[in-house]
Amino acid sequence: MKKRIPLNYITAAVLCVIVIVLVIVLAMQFGLANEKEPIYPGPGVTDMKMLSTWFPALAGTNGDTEVYILDSGVEGASMLVLGGTHPNEPSGFISAIMLIESCQPSSGTLFVIPRANNSAFTCTDPQEAAPMRFTIDTNNGTRWFRFGSRATNPTDQWPDSEVYVHASSGQQLSGSETRNLNRAYPGRADGNFTEKVAYGITQMIQSEDITITVDLHEASPEYTTVNAIVAHERALDLATLALWMVEDDMKISVEASPKNLHGLSHRELGDYTDTLALLMETANASQGRLHGRIDSALVTSGVDKFYARAYGYGSLNVDYPETGISISERCARHITCLKEFCEVYDGDKGLISLGEMPSYDEIIRNGIGHYLSDPQ
Amino acid sequence: MDIELICLLAMLGVFLLSNLLLKLPVSISMVLGALAGAIVGGEGIPLRHLFEGTFTYVDTMLIISSAMLFMTVIQESGALEALNSVIVTHFYKYPALMLIMLMLVIMFPGMITGSSTAAVLSAGALVAPVLLLIGIPKEKAGAIIAIGSIMGMAAPPINIPAMLIGGGVDMPYIGFDGPLLLLTIPCAVFSILFLGLKHCRNLDIEKLESGLDLEVGKKYGFKLYIPILALFVLLIASKAFPAFPQIGTCLIFLVCAFIGLFTGRKFNFWEKALKAMDTTIPVLAKLMGVGMFIQIMTLVGARGWIVVSCLSLGIAAVYIASFTVMPAFGAISSYGAASVLGVPFLLVMIQQGRCSDIVVASCLSFLCCLGDLMPPTALAGNYAAQIVGLKYKPVLIHCIVPFVVCIAVGLAVMLNSLTFA
Repeated sequence: MKKRIPLNYITAAVLCVIVIVLVIVLAMQFGLANEKEPIYPGPGVTDMKMLSTWFPALAGTNGDTEVYILDSGVEGASMLVLGGTHPNEPSGFISAIMLIESCQPSSGTLFVIPRANNSAFTCTDPQEAAPMRFTIDTNNGTRWFRFGSRATNPTDQWPDSEVYVHASSGQQLSGSETRNLNRAYPGRADGNFTEKVAYGITQMIQSEDITITVDLHEASPEYTTVNAIVAHERALDLATLALWMVEDDMKISVEASPKNLHGLSHRELGDYTDTLALLMETANASQGRLHGRIDSALVTSGVDKFYARAYGYGSLNVDYPETGISISERCARHITCLKEFCEVYDGDKGLISLGEMPSYDEIIRNGIGHYLSDPQ
Repeated sequence: MDIELICLLAMLGVFLLSNLLLKLPVSISMVLGALAGAIVGGEGIPLRHLFEGTFTYVDTMLIISSAMLFMTVIQESGALEALNSVIVTHFYKYPALMLIMLMLVIMFPGMITGSSTAAVLSAGALVAPVLLLIGIPKEKAGAIIAIGSIMGMAAPPINIPAMLIGGGVDMPYIGFDGPLLLLTIPCAVFSILFLGLKHCRNLDIEKLESGLDLEVGKKYGFKLYIPILALFVLLIASKAFPAFPQIGTCLIFLVCAFIGLFTGRKFNFWEKALKAMDTTIPVLAKLMGVGMFIQIMTLVGARGWIVVSCLSLGIAAVYIASFTVMPAFGAISSYGAASVLGVPFLLVMIQQGRCSDIVVASCLSFLCCLGDLMPPTALAGNYAAQIVGLKYKPVLIHCIVPFVVCIAVGLAVMLNSLTFA
């Protein structure tokens, strides 16, 4: 016989009180996810606009997000860096913040969107047990950063259909991709929330005639496309040239954007705008399926015994040492490649240079926190 | 011994102790198991994680609840009895054909929604009275519905585990139709003929008609079927036409249930709806318990321990795990099995470079779908049992042979994928 709880007013009242207390406590905990970490614009930042400047329908919504503009004052090409497309892939977000806080371009203009999917920063993925924030030590203190979800917060877009149909191609994907910004490009003005954010970014690229767009990502170490640059066919030469410049520092590959995989930035932004569309992936244990205990330390240090074991079994696509792959190393990859994309660009829109930037070795040696502002 | 394994053993131990010895409900046992894992793992009582884990199933729970209301309406309005009469009186002379057609009807909602739950609760509920009427015992009728709904979930055009596995390796959901049909149709036909044919070889139409309510159909006519037709039209339209407003499966069930209030016999909706929800809540609670359990498994690293342990055993063991551990993981979630195990397993198999990616991904998704038969969750088995008025254990016992055949077919196709490469 299964034990049954007696059904009477007393048990009902007790349960109601428990539920009310839990709702209050949990609402306070989840409410913290709406708090944004401060970003301290450095001397290179000349302007900050909201994405709604280019697509006004986003104004006042959780999809509107900051666009930092670093204009060198010297006419030249332009580059857009997208961080935080997937807020559970923190090296893209942190690299974007590093650019905002310490980059001073010497020619051309740099646009940086650190929280491309702003809504996805306000939640975490169920059953992934991710921390809501992680910390990085700077020269004079510790800063915290939000760890978010791969997808838009369901409070901004819900429900998901069982099958996500990409609007412009008709491609079918699992319904869980409905809220994935990197399956929504080029977006739709009258689409769902995530498609509108994608549309805003596409509009911005078109209006500002952005020369190069780089979407910064991370992948689980067992993923097929990792430690890689994925390039639209028009950007393949640029990616290959950059690869030659960085391959002494790191193992990295260039992959052509698949023509039959739609909704991704490297495919659709390349097809629907004139920008040279690129995407970068580094290896992040905290978003994989093989990791052990997950916490803030795993996000930043990347130390994980299970990934180290899986590497020994030959199950990974990257070298995974017991010392992990730290966020400093992952950011160093992003920053080094971004610098080289600018250096090797030799198109008809003039030059672009990120100015004095630390080398790959320097970032790893000093730690990424060294290049972030101190907490203020 | 890894601390992650200790946490996992604590979770399983407390769950089994609570469920089998203390006789607590599965849902409460899973919550206690999750709490034990969190405490052993040094996380204390992580309220946020316990709560967040349940959110994976919010949509499923809403669909189940709304589908139960729809079922109640079409049963009470008389639509179900009328439909049964039509099927039995037209096809009783060809029992094998009738059974195969009924199987396709059960599969259909699963094929277009990718959900075995939707299949059981919509078409399964329609077909169950017919199966019982033609003489198939309750437990076998439940087994047929459970297996049929899973075959529908796995069959094209929509197979969500395949999409999840494909998404994990950047494989577009293209070219899956052939392999999935090859896997599902033979298994579905075998299952219904194996379970049902011997009970309906010589059907006596007079006896059958005496058990049917032939009047309700005559009294209300075609309008009786409007909610059922509306359900299928809305489900298909929302999948086939991207421009069609995406109101969600839950709202589709509710809209059709509302229509059903005006198309047949009048009844006390509130009374019946409360009764329906009363039977549904234990299943919903079970899903919430499972959600908490898997979140804590991830938090303390037990999930990673399971996956890495499978990978550590080499390619042969990965093949073995694909037809043992992966369906077993369905006890927690078949979608979870696809995401957590399906992706790394496919990657390992691809690395061998000797198989067709699409065929192997199809087989893995098929094996994941079978997880919906795994207790304690056993979504398909649980609801099929509820529809035929039984506990799920006798129903699951009759699922064993078809389940083993499905596993064998899945494995055979996977091992022979060289021929598709």
